[in-house]
Amino acid sequence: MAGSQDMFDAIVMADERFHEEGYQEGYEEGSNLGIIEGRQHGTLHGAKIGSEIGCYQGFAFAWRCLLHSSATERDSKKMKVVESLIGMIQKFPYDDPTYDKLHEDLDRIRGKFKQLCSLLNVQPDFKISAQGSGLSF
Amino acid sequence: MKDSLVLLGRVPAHPDSRCWFLAWNPAGTLLASCGGDRRVRIWGTEGDSWICKSVLSEGHQRTVRKVAWSPCGNYLASASFDATTCIWKKNQDDFECVTTLEGHENEVKSVAWAPSGNLLATCSRDKSVWVWEVDEEDEYECVSVLNSHTQDVKHVVWHPSQELLASASYDDTVKLYREEEDDWVCCATLEGHESTVWSLAFDPSGQRLASCSDDRTVRIWQQYPPGNEQGVACSGSDPSWKCICTLSGFHSRTIYDVAWCPLTGALATACGDDAIRVFEEDPSSDPQQPTFSLTAHLPQAHSQDVNCVAWNPKERGLLASCSDDGEVAFWKYQRPEGL
Repeated sequence: MAGSQDMFDAIVMADERFHEEGYQEGYEEGSNLGIIEGRQHGTLHGAKIGSEIGCYQGFAFAWRCLLHSSATERDSKKMKVVESLIGMIQKFPYDDPTYDKLHEDLDRIRGKFKQLCSLLNVQPDFKISAQGSGLSF
Repeated sequence: MKDSLVLLGRVPAHPDSRCWFLAWNPAGTLLASCGGDRRVRIWGTEGDSWICKSVLSEGHQRTVRKVAWSPCGNYLASASFDATTCIWKKNQDDFECVTTLEGHENEVKSVAWAPSGNLLATCSRDKSVWVWEVDEEDEYECVSVLNSHTQDVKHVVWHPSQELLASASYDDTVKLYREEEDDWVCCATLEGHESTVWSLAFDPSGQRLASCSDDRTVRIWQQYPPGNEQGVACSGSDPSWKCICTLSGFHSRTIYDVAWCPLTGALATACGDDAIRVFEEDPSSDPQQPTFSLTAHLPQAHSQDVNCVAWNPKERGLLASCSDDGEVAFWKYQRPEGL
């Protein structure tokens, strides 16, 4: 009698069991998809920020070379801002996406870059990277 | 109370347009107005009437939103929706545009000169505040671009004696900045307004800051240096700013401007309900928790929104106002007896 009781139990409980199994499988599948999606999103955004900062760094390095030979007082001021921008770019935490001041620091780098453009009297033509970053200026 | 604010004169300063802002020169002899007609006009007295001394028409492609005189009175800065700021040099009655400051991505909303005259601040819809340094040869160099606000920055104003800058924004906050190691940093954020902060004014001592907002209130903030007797906590060596008074229930629409008279300490407001109001601190109230009384209220000061109020820096009680109706009005304020 005990065996047939178990059999009936198995039938009666099947609904609940399958529900639970289904939930587990679905949860795992969803988690995997979520991780993939999140990683893609992170990669995309990280790449945009990296590309934007890369532009600034290339700009700063080029101007450091151009200003290096000159020694006027006005140029030394510009050089100071170039060095300051490079310093900020080097300090930026590229391997810590959870850093709480990430956007604050990024905004400071952007500000420094704009200041430098103004001092050098050049129009920043990095609109592509700026728009691509998805962060409205 | 009605007689405490008397109309002295009215001029159609920017006909068929809006008059956005006014600025008295430091000597108090000239008033600059700017408007939607892309022009800046300079007003002076001749006998009892106010006449237009100059029109600065070349320079801007769009609305001129604000103007500011340099502390020496020889230069005028104009901020425009065309994304530029012009610096005008005064030669007797003539003004010549000597520099155009570019850099903001879109509408420049405000401009202000530091008390030393060596620094200039501008702010824009691009959410940034720029600080410019002026050298002896009238060359302007950007010393900092501050991206602290998350929205349109409406107004900038300098502390009357220190190199401390304040900005007001559509993000409902006020931010304060100071210089630190060759750069400028945001050193305080004043939170409390529930909507756009439109304008700011320091009191004559610089110990207090008034802010006015779309939330129909004026807030008075007090500076507390580190180690203050009242025990207000400060972080590091920066002073704290605490809201010590909120003027609510007086205004029925957005308050666009607030002005603190440098001579009398009276506080005037410009409101979207077409009215001008003046408040004075109750002398008997606790300085740490002051109360203010409405001492003048002129409901139909203009036929449309009042955009700006400006106290004359030399003549006690002389107040100028301007409006969307394009007019500038001059008022005489007299503190009511019994206060």
